[in-house]
Amino acid sequence: MSVAALLRRFGPLLGLLALCAVLGTLSDHFLTFDNLINVFRQSAVNALLSLGQLVVIITAGIDLSVGSILGLSCVLVALLLKAGVPPALAVLAALAIGGALGSVNGLLLTKLHLPHPFIPTLGMMNVARGLALVICGGFPISELPSGFRFWGAGSVGWIPAPVIVVVVFCVVFHVFLTRTTVGRDIYAIGGNPQAALLSGVPVDARLILVYALSGVTAAAGAVVLAGRMNSGFPLAGMGSELDSIAAVIIGGASFFGGVGTVGGTLVGALIMGVLRNGLNLMNVSAYWQTVVIGVVIVAAVWVDVVRKRAAEKGRAAVN
Amino acid sequence: MNESAQLLELRGISKWFSGVRVLEGVDFEVRAAEVHALVGENGAGKSTLMNIVSGIVAADAGQMLWEGQPVRPRSPRQAQELGITFVHQELALAPQLSAAENIFLGRHPAGGGWVRWREIHDRARELLSGLGHNIDPRRLVAELSLAERQLVEIARALAFRARLIIMDEPTAPLADRDAEGLFRTIRNLRERGVGVIFISHRLKEIFQVADRVTVLRDGKRVLTKEVASAGVDDLVRAMVGAELSAHVPPEAAAVEGEEAIRVEGPVSFAVRRGEVVGFAGLAGAGRTELLEWLFGAGKQTGQIFVNGRPVTVRRPLDAIRHGMALVPDDRKAKGLVLGATLHQNIALASGRRRWFIRAARERQAAGQLLGELRIKAAGLDQRVLYLSGGNQQKAVLAKWLYAGARVFLLDEPTRGIDVRSKAEIYDLVRGLASRGAAILLASSELDELLRLADRIVVMHRGRIAGELARAEATEERIMHLATGGVQ
Repeated sequence: MSVAALLRRFGPLLGLLALCAVLGTLSDHFLTFDNLINVFRQSAVNALLSLGQLVVIITAGIDLSVGSILGLSCVLVALLLKAGVPPALAVLAALAIGGALGSVNGLLLTKLHLPHPFIPTLGMMNVARGLALVICGGFPISELPSGFRFWGAGSVGWIPAPVIVVVVFCVVFHVFLTRTTVGRDIYAIGGNPQAALLSGVPVDARLILVYALSGVTAAAGAVVLAGRMNSGFPLAGMGSELDSIAAVIIGGASFFGGVGTVGGTLVGALIMGVLRNGLNLMNVSAYWQTVVIGVVIVAAVWVDVVRKRAAEKGRAAVN
Repeated sequence: MNESAQLLELRGISKWFSGVRVLEGVDFEVRAAEVHALVGENGAGKSTLMNIVSGIVAADAGQMLWEGQPVRPRSPRQAQELGITFVHQELALAPQLSAAENIFLGRHPAGGGWVRWREIHDRARELLSGLGHNIDPRRLVAELSLAERQLVEIARALAFRARLIIMDEPTAPLADRDAEGLFRTIRNLRERGVGVIFISHRLKEIFQVADRVTVLRDGKRVLTKEVASAGVDDLVRAMVGAELSAHVPPEAAAVEGEEAIRVEGPVSFAVRRGEVVGFAGLAGAGRTELLEWLFGAGKQTGQIFVNGRPVTVRRPLDAIRHGMALVPDDRKAKGLVLGATLHQNIALASGRRRWFIRAARERQAAGQLLGELRIKAAGLDQRVLYLSGGNQQKAVLAKWLYAGARVFLLDEPTRGIDVRSKAEIYDLVRGLASRGAAILLASSELDELLRLADRIVVMHRGRIAGELARAEATEERIMHLATGGVQ
């Protein structure tokens, strides 16, 4: 593999390792076992949302509703638990609700021929958030059963349960995207929807599936978050759609579609988690953290642009 | 101005890209009031040479003289200021602006911060009518035909006081009649003393419009000749370095296979297994629409029968399941996922009934197709973006061969590709037919139809105007039907 290809593949990972090295020298606490486990735990919700967002962005789409779907699922799962539904069933119900909300995005996009996924998901972002507030009257639903809280706060040995959830989702999504024909269709749609359609890809069905998957991962994020906070609160996940987009883009996916990996996205989510954690350890205020994250997003994409330009130059050569 | 004055002179131009020499000591010149054709297979170095002239890339060695003075344009802008304009294959116009606005884009005549609309429109009208066309300069470019858009682009070059206009395959997307109009425009430019570099894969056109022709092969100039003293065979030989089998017309054979596909409706016809049926017509005659409809990508306007049984084709996937394959007219926009690899593109239309990809099996089959179709690529993992036009088109065909298609809908399959690939695609099409495939071939190139088709269906305004057997088909008879004449 060429140097450029290696850089493309492992660029975000190198960035993450460099970041960890820097933070390790700046803070004695950063590279401790407990702290790193903590970073993983804190990154779990964003990582889950980012997986769904990744699949959407591979199709050259965007899902602005994941934060709100997380919020609505969070409230609904808490209500189900309060009504006495067993935790396992409540979790499955939450995932189904998330999937259903996501597929509404896909249906609006494909059947109403809305011009860009920005529109239906922006609509859903408001609708789902509004419904979450309506349903619980704006108040959090607290004191959830311990069997449920396991998913957010529990652990197996020293591994936090949310980390296990993330790993399982990552493996499933990686296999789905790289080893299945449906995964290949999804990359093709992002690369060239017209050519994909004319090669027999059922584009509409695939897009509906893609947005449904994004809804499912948002609901999975809701389960982890509600478990960790011991509460279903209607404002859960405010603004997290943008964090998930940032993680996907930092992880090397392209807004133009057709490009992106699960590994890269996971690294992207970790870069954001590590940054927040490291800045916290150094007592940098939350306000400044936001500034730093903004700079990192732009810098990550800029690096990508520079790399692409270099590749373009190489191509002009051949012709 | 001295009519034979040397406008542009290149001496010993060389260029390397990442260690590969793409141009080697090329000499080239254009006089004022000369149409100089530049031909060569894809990869011969034409684009690179023109990119050097128009300031997009810099030469590594050699000299460029503009009216006898050494120059080195470092950007398209600088080249434009010298008087050199490149009219690209993909036109660079803003579709939601008017023709006039596009012509003066970036340099609106203005006074005191106000745009002088009246002057813009008057001067645009003047420029367009000076080129012999009456396009309303207020019309949006989005509403103009391709031929009209080219004209706007040429008018824009003139508004920039261009003295040398480079046209990269300007006729590739045009129907024959529009191409005629373009040639008139080019002659008009020549009369005004403008030099034109005309790049084309259609050799016939060079004899219609050019004064001199230069052939590049593998980055070297192999020939420069007055067109009057050159023949098609000279050029082809210079381009490929050998004679090609494509110029031997295949034997005509009576086709007696079973019916593969039949259509009944506003347009009715049938194609047998082993038969190549050509579809001729002017631009807009409805050939692309017909093929896309058959393939489930357009409005259904009739009944399709495959192997004698009526079938419903609502989407391309249905058509593919009935053994159909579409090679679309625009391979970059509709045929390929450019950013994906050869492997991914070849496998894209197959294996959809299965959940998991069988990568090893696919790679073996795709690798074999690479060899059979003589696709020149670094390997299966090369992205198709980086392939030449001919190799890209072969990749589209490979996709359908891998999918096991039996009815091929080919829409302009050799548009904008080099002579060698063209010949190879011709061989491939005849080979497919001889192995029992049914082939529907829509083409704007009449000699392509005459060479490949067993019979030719001529379309006019969405209907079939007539049908000609190979023996009775001539360019004159086809054009007669295509222009609305009666059989």
